[in-house]
Amino acid sequence: MQAVDERVVQTPRLGDPIRVRRRRPNRMPLLLTMPALVLLAGLLAYPLARMLVLSFQDMQLRNLFAGTSPPWVGFENYKEILTDGVFWSVVRRTAIFTVVSVAISVVLGMAVALLMRRVSKPVRLAMMVAMMFVWAIPQLVSAQIFKWMVDADFGVVNYMIDQIPGVDFANHSWFADPIQGWAVITTLVVWAGIPFLAITLNAGLTQVPRELTEAATVDGAGPWQTLRHITLPILRPLIIIVTTLSVIWNFGLFTQVWVVRDSKPEQEYQTLATYAFTQAFGRNEYSLGSAISVITVLLMLGVMAFYVRQMFMIGDVD
Amino acid sequence: MSATSHRSRAGTILANTVGVVFVVLMAFPVYWVLNTAFKPASEVLSFTPSFLPEHPTLDNFRSAIKAPYFLVDLRNGMIVTAFAVAGALVVGFLAALAIARFRFYGRRAFIMVILGVQLVPLLALLIPLYLMLNRVDLTNSLIGVSITYLVLILPYTVWTLRGFIAAVPRELDEAALVDGCSRWQTFYRIILPLTGPGLVATSIYGFIQAWNEFIIINTLNNPEKQNLMAWLLQNQTNRGTAWGPLMAGAIITALPVVAFFLMIQRHIAVGLTAGAVKG
Repeated sequence: MQAVDERVVQTPRLGDPIRVRRRRPNRMPLLLTMPALVLLAGLLAYPLARMLVLSFQDMQLRNLFAGTSPPWVGFENYKEILTDGVFWSVVRRTAIFTVVSVAISVVLGMAVALLMRRVSKPVRLAMMVAMMFVWAIPQLVSAQIFKWMVDADFGVVNYMIDQIPGVDFANHSWFADPIQGWAVITTLVVWAGIPFLAITLNAGLTQVPRELTEAATVDGAGPWQTLRHITLPILRPLIIIVTTLSVIWNFGLFTQVWVVRDSKPEQEYQTLATYAFTQAFGRNEYSLGSAISVITVLLMLGVMAFYVRQMFMIGDVD
Repeated sequence: MSATSHRSRAGTILANTVGVVFVVLMAFPVYWVLNTAFKPASEVLSFTPSFLPEHPTLDNFRSAIKAPYFLVDLRNGMIVTAFAVAGALVVGFLAALAIARFRFYGRRAFIMVILGVQLVPLLALLIPLYLMLNRVDLTNSLIGVSITYLVLILPYTVWTLRGFIAAVPRELDEAALVDGCSRWQTFYRIILPLTGPGLVATSIYGFIQAWNEFIIINTLNNPEKQNLMAWLLQNQTNRGTAWGPLMAGAIITALPVVAFFLMIQRHIAVGLTAGAVKG
């Protein structure tokens, strides 16, 4: 944008008077952005600040009903959370889930994207259609579909595994063992996440110049070497973006756990998001919930550093 | 000499086989929800699941529609979504016009804010939002949720519309201005018609976001003031699980999104990669 401004000043051409006139202080942009700014300030900035304040107070149900301001407690909430073993196990679980699910999703997404370049046209079309449907299904609905499929008594998954000779899976409860339960949740998240990853990466692959891969082939590179040394480096920015987005989404996992565990996840199924929600709205510990949210946002910021950088670059381009 | 020359026939067959397996695995849950929704209750609760309904029926859809609050929550969802999308389009278009067509002090900061707020996890803001709306008596109202959704989809709306407006050649507005059009005329004769498709695409995305949301509305409002998503959630928890009607309800809830999604699917990949690979 710097460049544009300079051009306007330095090389006034015929037909440019409008641009020059625009350099006069103009109230129009302010007028245009005002409604958006007011809404963002009112419903994002203010609550964000309020959340921070709340985390240093002790908001109780009676404050809510009486409308009285809650007492200040300093770092009490943070002390309570950070010294609580349960909280740390929630953090660890959320982190492990994020790493595992994102790794599986991105690798599978890339594999599917590459596969789409290799299959015949009708198969590619079928893959596209199947993924579009999966992508379009709301998270809440897909979580309920999975819950139904792994139902202990009537679930089709138990039935099909039971068909394997020598395996007894009738009435098997998938959520009794948290490892199995998390395997189900991870499958659900990966299944629902692959369309975005595969379709985006495939769109990226179509933009890799064919001359480059052909040249590599002529020079005797195998498909694996071409992938490693040509395709992946070119796709790097895109891979970083989709990976970071997946991290953000999976780190904030809420819906799938919430639905699959009947809106009351047991301790082994809590993530940071469900934990903050349960503390705030289940136990009316709004301040504790706020403090957990603050810590979550801080952790997120660390995770998002990459994405934020990429965004700033986009912002700079304009 | 092409890259395909060393690709063997056997390799293609293998790839196609893997592709077909992938399609089956991806589509199975979708098929299973359809299969369940059209079965009568006796077939749904069978220990040996059948892979096609033996006696296909629409009973599940009927009982879902007749269930308490279904129609109310359907209407609520439509009102809230329509308000949020329309509001975000108007407010967002103005802001997008500003950053696409004007160079002004604070423009870059505004862009950063628009991009940055998309990273704020809305769930984290739920507590202060609840307290705030509760204070001004906007919990358990459609207005409070509508405004919240409007803000939820606003950043995306601004950023996408900016792209569409920027794609309209500036020379066109300038020519119109030179020819004696006022700024307002330039806007509604040149920019607005040319960004029409962009407005449609953007509103569909906003529609999907607002339609799919349920945590905010479920937390802020009582059953009679919710949308279908929240209805699905409560339906499952409160009265045991009637899987047939639930799956039918899930289909009804997902249908608009699937329909819209298929409408815009051509633009999805393009939008996703624009600027990411080339930029």
